[in-house]
Amino acid sequence: MKTALDKLERAGQSAETAAIVVIFTAMVLVAVFQIVNRELLGSTFAIPWAHEFARYCVLWLAMVGAIAACRENKHIRIDAISHVVSGTVAAWIRVVVDTFAALVCFAVGWQSWLLVHEQLSWGEFVIGAVPLWLAHALVPLAFFLMGYRFAVRASSLLYDLAKGKVAEEPE
Amino acid sequence: MILFSIILLILAILGAPLFTIIATSAMLGFQSNDTSLLTVPLEFMSIAQVPVLTAIPLFTFAGYLLSECEAPQRLVRVTRALFGWMPGGLAIVCLVVCALFTAFTGASGVTIIALGAILYPALVQDGYSDRFTLGLVTSSGSLGLLFAPSLPLILYGVVAQVSIDDLFRAGIVPGILMIIALSMYSMWQARGIHRREVVAAIREAIWELPLPIVVLGGIYSGFFAVSEAAAITALYVFVAEVFINREIALRDLPRIIRESMVLVGAILMILGMSLASTYYMIDMEIPQKLLALVGELFSSQVTFLILLLIFLLILGAILDIFSAIALVVPLILPIASTFGVNQVHLGIVFLAAMELGYLTPPVGLNLFISSYRFEKPILHVYSATFPFLLILLLSVILIAFWPGLSLWLV
Repeated sequence: MKTALDKLERAGQSAETAAIVVIFTAMVLVAVFQIVNRELLGSTFAIPWAHEFARYCVLWLAMVGAIAACRENKHIRIDAISHVVSGTVAAWIRVVVDTFAALVCFAVGWQSWLLVHEQLSWGEFVIGAVPLWLAHALVPLAFFLMGYRFAVRASSLLYDLAKGKVAEEPE
Repeated sequence: MILFSIILLILAILGAPLFTIIATSAMLGFQSNDTSLLTVPLEFMSIAQVPVLTAIPLFTFAGYLLSECEAPQRLVRVTRALFGWMPGGLAIVCLVVCALFTAFTGASGVTIIALGAILYPALVQDGYSDRFTLGLVTSSGSLGLLFAPSLPLILYGVVAQVSIDDLFRAGIVPGILMIIALSMYSMWQARGIHRREVVAAIREAIWELPLPIVVLGGIYSGFFAVSEAAAITALYVFVAEVFINREIALRDLPRIIRESMVLVGAILMILGMSLASTYYMIDMEIPQKLLALVGELFSSQVTFLILLLIFLLILGAILDIFSAIALVVPLILPIASTFGVNQVHLGIVFLAAMELGYLTPPVGLNLFISSYRFEKPILHVYSATFPFLLILLLSVILIAFWPGLSLWLV
């Protein structure tokens, strides 16, 4: 059980990295090609959707990056309290804030899902021929995954607290 | 509603991720306002509608790549060759290098970690006191936010809907002013210390030296748009460090891209959620109400700027710069324009004051990073940084009350 979960975690992490690398590389290539085409090739091969593509890459990178930031606990927080308390008190505080974060992510994920579902019927297209809902579909998925991540962290910390396994410096 | 706000505030102080706090306040706002909650994701998704945002992942990647290779060492050698002969030369090297590096890496904690390790021992070896060195390295870490292509400048431009080219131009003179002020203090501290460095470093850094020219020259001349300059920079740094200097192996690249995009994800979560909460605030005319409430307090532009500075110094000490821009700029922008403060000038004042916030006890971020990195007690860092803080405070006051400094090149 434990190893299966570990495998899933590792697969998830590799998938994040792969997605980030692919989106980022595509973004750089398209942007550089646009400049080369304009300055050196006299705009012979203009890609009409290039700018829109780059903007959507930012949204996608933000989503995958945010999932990865959850995994690595790198979301921006006010980090004052960890300088004041430690040990079990700090662990309890983290259980509370991570549970809250999980709930918020699920709520936003749910709203995003409803929105994407609605956009299914709009019939709009972006970046040439990509349906609008598809371009946005990563948003609910990412929020659900972030919610899952926060929930896992909170519950495993809670488990450790119950077992009395929290050391002076949790994690 | 007030109860909810207090609970959110407590959760924020306890360390809940800030984007979740902003998201909740936006959702609660829309709920009480009978606006569809779908507005939250709709506004969030408009991240994909802001053209300049493409610059953020590209510049972040370039900055991460530069800090992973030996560019910091080379940068130190070059600047040392250029400024090392002056009295207080190495201290000035430290200020200039850190400022340039922060301009590219944005988050100033990176500067202390990447450059501090090289500069700290060199400064002590050159005869500077431990205390002066600690203060210098800590405060150098926040210089440079006013220079292109720093992420906070870009983010301010996005949030305030001000031309980023203008901001890049406006930051130059105030940024240099801060460096000169600290350089003069360093020269005074370094009376009697003299060193002459053999000029041999420029060849080594030959591939990094064109970077500021590509970025600044390209943008200032209007040859590139900001996002294009970002793409060129990312590609250029990639080719220079991976293929020419060969300091980064190709197999390390996925990790570096991932690490830089983690920061991008964290910043854009906050920006996306604040787009939603800003929509609510503007819908409810909150800036106008705030103006009506505090308008009585300010009789003139001068009193407004004084209170703004005090507010920003406190804000900078408790909130990171990205969240502060995303949350506070939409609120103060309308008030500032009522008092005739130029939006570009406001951006420079905002960022300059936030730079100080990094050094303001008790919770300025750089103080902790420095204490951790150099293994010094935090109280020791407070007192070592204090003279630098005072000098920077004077510079910020000058920048705030002399708009010409910022608007000279715009």
